[in-house]
Amino acid sequence: MKLNIEGLLVYFPYDYIYPEQYSYMLELKRTLDAKGHGVLEMPSGTGKTISLLSLIVAYQKAYPLEVTKLVYCSRTVPEIEKVVEELRKLMDYYAKQTGVKNDFLALALSSRKNLCIHPEVSSLRFGKEVDGKCHSLTASYIRAQHHSNPSQPVCQFFEEFDAVGRQVPIPPGIYNLDDLKDFGRRKGWCPYFLARYAILHANIVVYSYHYLLDPKIADLVSKELAKKSVVVFDEAHNIDNVCIDSMSVNITRRTLDRCQTNVETLQNTISRIKETDAAKLREEYRRLVEGLKEANVARETDIYLSNPVLPDEILQEAVPGSIRTAEHFVGFIKRFLEYLKARLRIHHVVQESAPQFLKDIYEKVCIDRKPLRFCAERLRSLLRTLEIADIADFSAITLISHFATLVSTYSKGFTIIIEPFEDRTPTIANPVLHFSCMDPSIAIKPVFGRFQSVIITSGTLSPLDIYPRILDFRPVTMASFTMTLARTCLCPLIVGRGNDQVAMTSKFETREDFAVIRNYGNLLLEMSAIVPDGIVAFFTSYIYMENIVASWYEQGILENIQRNKLIFIETQDAAETSMALEKYQEACENGRGAILLSVARGKVSEGIDFVHHFGRAVIMFGVPYVYTQSRILKARLEYLRDQFQIRENDFLTFDAMRHAAQCVGRAIRGKTDYGLMIFADKRYARADKRGKLPRWIQEHLTDGSLNLTIDETVQLSKHFLRQMAQPFRRVTTRTFLSLFNDLNQA
Amino acid sequence: MASLSEEVLLVVKRVRQRKQDGTLYLMAERIAWGPEGKDRFTVSHLYADIRCQKISPDGKAKIQLQLVLHTGESTTFHFANESTALKDRDATKELLQQLLPKFKKKANKELEEKNRMLQEDPVLFQLYKDLVVSQVISAEEFWANRLSLSSVEHSISNNNKQEVGISAAFLADIRPQTDGCNGLRYNLTTDIIESIFRTYPTVKQKYSENVPHNMTEKEFWTRFFQSHYFHRDRISTGLQDIFSECAKQDEKGLKSMVTQGVKNPMVDLLSLEDKTLDEGYGTATVPTTSNSSNKSLRENSNSAIIKRFNHHSAMVLAAGLLCVIFRDAPSDQASETSSTDGNSRDSDFFQPPLKKVKLQEAIEYDDLQGDSGRKTISLNLKKSDRYSHGPTPLQSQHYTTSQDIITSISIIQHEMRSYKPRLTQVMSSSAASSAIIALSPGGVLMQGGAQQTINQLVPTDVQSELKHLYMAAGELLRHFWSCFPVSTPFLEEKVVKMKSNLEKFQVTKLRPFQEKIQRQYLSTNLTGHLEEMLQAAYNKFQAWQTRRMMRKT
Repeated sequence: MKLNIEGLLVYFPYDYIYPEQYSYMLELKRTLDAKGHGVLEMPSGTGKTISLLSLIVAYQKAYPLEVTKLVYCSRTVPEIEKVVEELRKLMDYYAKQTGVKNDFLALALSSRKNLCIHPEVSSLRFGKEVDGKCHSLTASYIRAQHHSNPSQPVCQFFEEFDAVGRQVPIPPGIYNLDDLKDFGRRKGWCPYFLARYAILHANIVVYSYHYLLDPKIADLVSKELAKKSVVVFDEAHNIDNVCIDSMSVNITRRTLDRCQTNVETLQNTISRIKETDAAKLREEYRRLVEGLKEANVARETDIYLSNPVLPDEILQEAVPGSIRTAEHFVGFIKRFLEYLKARLRIHHVVQESAPQFLKDIYEKVCIDRKPLRFCAERLRSLLRTLEIADIADFSAITLISHFATLVSTYSKGFTIIIEPFEDRTPTIANPVLHFSCMDPSIAIKPVFGRFQSVIITSGTLSPLDIYPRILDFRPVTMASFTMTLARTCLCPLIVGRGNDQVAMTSKFETREDFAVIRNYGNLLLEMSAIVPDGIVAFFTSYIYMENIVASWYEQGILENIQRNKLIFIETQDAAETSMALEKYQEACENGRGAILLSVARGKVSEGIDFVHHFGRAVIMFGVPYVYTQSRILKARLEYLRDQFQIRENDFLTFDAMRHAAQCVGRAIRGKTDYGLMIFADKRYARADKRGKLPRWIQEHLTDGSLNLTIDETVQLSKHFLRQMAQPFRRVTTRTFLSLFNDLNQA
Repeated sequence: MASLSEEVLLVVKRVRQRKQDGTLYLMAERIAWGPEGKDRFTVSHLYADIRCQKISPDGKAKIQLQLVLHTGESTTFHFANESTALKDRDATKELLQQLLPKFKKKANKELEEKNRMLQEDPVLFQLYKDLVVSQVISAEEFWANRLSLSSVEHSISNNNKQEVGISAAFLADIRPQTDGCNGLRYNLTTDIIESIFRTYPTVKQKYSENVPHNMTEKEFWTRFFQSHYFHRDRISTGLQDIFSECAKQDEKGLKSMVTQGVKNPMVDLLSLEDKTLDEGYGTATVPTTSNSSNKSLRENSNSAIIKRFNHHSAMVLAAGLLCVIFRDAPSDQASETSSTDGNSRDSDFFQPPLKKVKLQEAIEYDDLQGDSGRKTISLNLKKSDRYSHGPTPLQSQHYTTSQDIITSISIIQHEMRSYKPRLTQVMSSSAASSAIIALSPGGVLMQGGAQQTINQLVPTDVQSELKHLYMAAGELLRHFWSCFPVSTPFLEEKVVKMKSNLEKFQVTKLRPFQEKIQRQYLSTNLTGHLEEMLQAAYNKFQAWQTRRMMRKT
């Protein structure tokens, strides 16, 4: 259908539209008009992505000079592929309606692991291996060697691409990852580098957060994206953690040991090169003196990870003299390494700020701030000069150099915590140095500064006002949309007590209580008897789940559950969990029914949807608070309080509730879907918790369902399920939708 | 003795029943007991009637065996031969153990089958009510030629297709019971054993390796339950334990399942993340590499439990699917390989389409889609010629092509156009008018129209009763006529019985009906045909009997 959104003609590839989609587009249009940033919350399954794409594409077509590019960031590979497929649908619709052939270029970009078509390299399983191997076939000096010595293997796909791929632009169209691979195979070009090159002139780019938020990667991939782009962060409820992760570093003793071997290898290589090819080192030295840095040969294939600090923090001057020669630099690194080793030999926890650390290092081993800042840059240059092929092996020393650069660049927003052992196992020495970013706004700041519109959107962003605060930006629109439903297909229930009236809660003091565990077990058992097909249950943490499962096993609860359904449990091993997940779906498919026990904040809770019969009920056991005793978290809370005036408790509750909402939201992926959402903790009933749930869940939470016992829950669930199991009459939704749609037809 | 022809499988002397000494016989189809010195059985049960057998615990002074019947009654045998009592009892038990399941299945299957037939076929059900419930003929007679053995077997083989899956909680059903003297007792049924074997093929393998030669069945299961394998926190599996190997193989199976990865790309957690942070970056605590040393024993056992549950569920699921896949060739080898690796790995070749489908599924909003009407399946014909002509006999090599048909049609059309009636050579006017009369209502050839009035004449309840009578009579007559030609003594017997059945039918069913319609002043002609049919049967019987008499004299 064609829509008129405040004077903009929008093609929407469906015959009907939900009211919330319409208002979503309206808000989005206003944001784009104002050239500002926006925060938009809309429930999952109401067609957020397609509304977003329809509007922005229409905007691009209408004002090609105002918005030149859409950069769509999502979190997981399946999400990315889904977005591209929706885009394809939209473009097909455009072509059909207007009769004009599509002239848009849209493509997905992913890591080499998902795009490589080299027969040997692509068979490797882990992303890091693929990257390393690719680098060893495509680095500039390898290719130079290949010229003189044809037996040196290179990647023919890259060679082909390098020879002709840049001159011939990729024809307009929608390229998903598989399409890129097909295209690459047909032409004999490397799809990865083709995609990286093509994003510069593509109209729409879909890739993952890291390509924009992680400075190490963003500098390589997204450096030249135009300013007049619209950036969308979908599923952005966790964006602050992504930001923080991309700037934080952990150093263990093992890292240092591996770094030690790296240093030794470097030393050997240097002395060998000195005997054979001293000119090369001299050349490097000369370059560094002149401050030429990368500029001359900054080939895309050479660099594996770029500078870890943000572009505007990188010093635009020559590398200081003390680390210019290769030997001096290696010596410098060695000294730094020894210092770190000494710091890790402690018996009590140390927490200090970056300036304190710099002062200490200056006093102890006379390392200045300035050479530290150049560490990452200098190491990169050295590795290239030494022509070391497998960069992956040098990850330890790269990490150390990044730490050096980061710690000397930022004096605020970071903290250093050295822990001699893990809290749970105080007897086993396992020292770790956490260099932790506490301010998510640092990493995302350049994005807000650079692009004219940044849209942050997700199904669960409540409370909306906290995101602008922790990310430190000023949005022009903030809106939360609810779900219009022809039938109430979600049923949130808060279970506060067992049948014995003992309060159910995962509060730390009572969580190991026998009665609580038994009541949780009874709840699951009762639900397993009445809910058809799949049930997903989330626990607050992995350890808690292990304990509960063990005591359920001892009490025979699991056996009774097994009479009703098969049980699958998430483990810490991703491959094992994938298998369990697949079996779970299989069991739901063939009618046996199954239960998946999983963990909030785990991979399952973040990336897997349980549509329709895969999740007829979600049970959230307890409130998924983050582990509050962690020092990193404490430091962050303190920082938030001091800098952004966010109280600790507010943030903790906000964090817990967004994860709880994420978990329960997994079950509802559309209006034809239905599911129970059971919050099994009496604390959910409190206004401060309940108020932080997304509006579309809150709306259906009646006062009557706030503090239920297990029996009452079962009664309500039975009623709900019976109602939902009736055939869904499309007609009612239809009439409702058509009424609305008639009003808005363009 | 009642039937000497029966094969006697086992004879146990000195068995007491109701304080009476006697001998226990196990025959091919029944178990029987006769008191000493008498040549008849006072107790006799068909195996099919026995629900289960129970034995007295080992420690008891009296060595007994109890048979529980489906009816709920039970019979207890006391093995009284001091020296060999235990052996006798065990021999009996073993034999019964082998025999009972066979009969149980058969009996149940038959009952089920009959029940199903009656439920599916209301006509048959009515017939059953008319004939069997009112005791015109016995149930066996009724079923005798309805339910041929082959059909039972056929249905059994059909049922095999849809074998019942395994309850996930089958291990939970084996509740250990204390037997009072510091021991545990597990009650195992054949179902549970079957479940164990199907879910854990390794145990089955061990069983077949060890049981006849190395240890008794009982010993095997005792060990099984003692073994850590059964107790789920199997941390320290001793080397002497025969099940430690099973545990290892299970582990291996689980590993191979894991390394195979998953077919559905949407649930593959490994490839979910696009760009994982390199090791050392991020705030998440670094996973400790040395798991075993760091973790406490308890944590280890906890994660072992979790692993076991996943494995168990996967195996149960696989076993459920297995019987579908390997129905035809349930050889040990096949089932083993397929269940250890759970799912067969599709090559990458198949992946893109699956992925595409899943992606498409994920982005559909069918309630926003317009009413495109029901999706129709387009007819895909390889040879449209054959479709429009229908099957043609294979022998005739001559096929009419559509071209031929078109030409012939056009020829006929052409002929029709040039058709000229030869008015002189038609039939006479009287013949024509009589034909018209015959074909008009009330005419000779339209008699059927008059008979329809019976619909209006007779009330519906009488009609339906009549129908039932017809059906019942038809069934009986079918039985009767199927006896001819009477060639065997059995048939002779049957034909006599059928004749009496027919007479009984006439007296108990037909007469009351006739009286009833007479009372309602309806034409008695209604049952005329029925009576004729019966009369014909009697005549035939009479003829046959006189002939037989003549032959005898």
